[in-house]
Amino acid sequence: MNKDKKKLFFILGVVLAVLMGLSVWYSVAYNESRLVAPTNLAEYTFCLKDLPMILSGVLLVLYLLSLFACLLLHRVKAKGGQASSTHTRTISPKLGLLGLLGFLGLSGFVIYPITGDIFPFLFFVFFGFFSFYYEGKMSGTLIDERYRENRLRAQLKANRIFTSIIFLSLLILGQGRFHGNLEYTLIAFVIVVSLAVALELFLSMYLLYRYDQGGSLEEEGE
Amino acid sequence: MPEFTCRLKQFRQQKGLTQEQLAAQVGVRRETIMRLEKAQYNPSLKLAIDISRAVDAPIEAIFLFD
Repeated sequence: MNKDKKKLFFILGVVLAVLMGLSVWYSVAYNESRLVAPTNLAEYTFCLKDLPMILSGVLLVLYLLSLFACLLLHRVKAKGGQASSTHTRTISPKLGLLGLLGFLGLSGFVIYPITGDIFPFLFFVFFGFFSFYYEGKMSGTLIDERYRENRLRAQLKANRIFTSIIFLSLLILGQGRFHGNLEYTLIAFVIVVSLAVALELFLSMYLLYRYDQGGSLEEEGE
Repeated sequence: MPEFTCRLKQFRQQKGLTQEQLAAQVGVRRETIMRLEKAQYNPSLKLAIDISRAVDAPIEAIFLFD
């Protein structure tokens, strides 16, 4: 949002606050606090003296909606700008340590026998956060055509591996009797899908790093 | 990737440009120019044309396909 818009919204906000204050005063002083004190809208009947409160209420709602819309548009524009940015985002490779949260998925083996909840198994997806390590190593890289090509290649390969794992697990677990139990089959499927998603997230970044930065890179320094 | 020979280094040096300078001119990274010179990367048509203009040499002289 530019400075002028911010100024306009500020001034409008102040004006509306003053209007609301005046409406409330008028209602309290001359209108028995109608629409100020808690009102049962089912029993409400319109009265001309209610107009100031109604108008200032409507204006306030319109102001808040337009402010929200403006902020949302600004955020969308900012994101769009980011997407067309010439360099990759800057993040720390240490964020890759978040991948360790994936081990929380093992808590499912403890929690499930007690409460019957299989949700903790979904935490295996967090293993995908190990990808932040490689993304961090490529922070601030110029997104040239070779980078874009390598990114597509990496995503394609990661996606192929993910699809193969899902297909295989469907074939095996689709028999429906993992350890003779349908519930265990579901749990196994949840674990496999979570790990497969994590693997895809990790591989798409790892492979991009390998394709883009790997190989013999003697420092020619010309 | 199609096999080709790249004579970019020769033309670049004739023009007195470093890899960094050429990369900046055509809007890619130095690593990309490096891989191009080693024929480890197949450039897009646009990049090939930009490089050709930057080093003042025809595309078919820079990139030789068998």
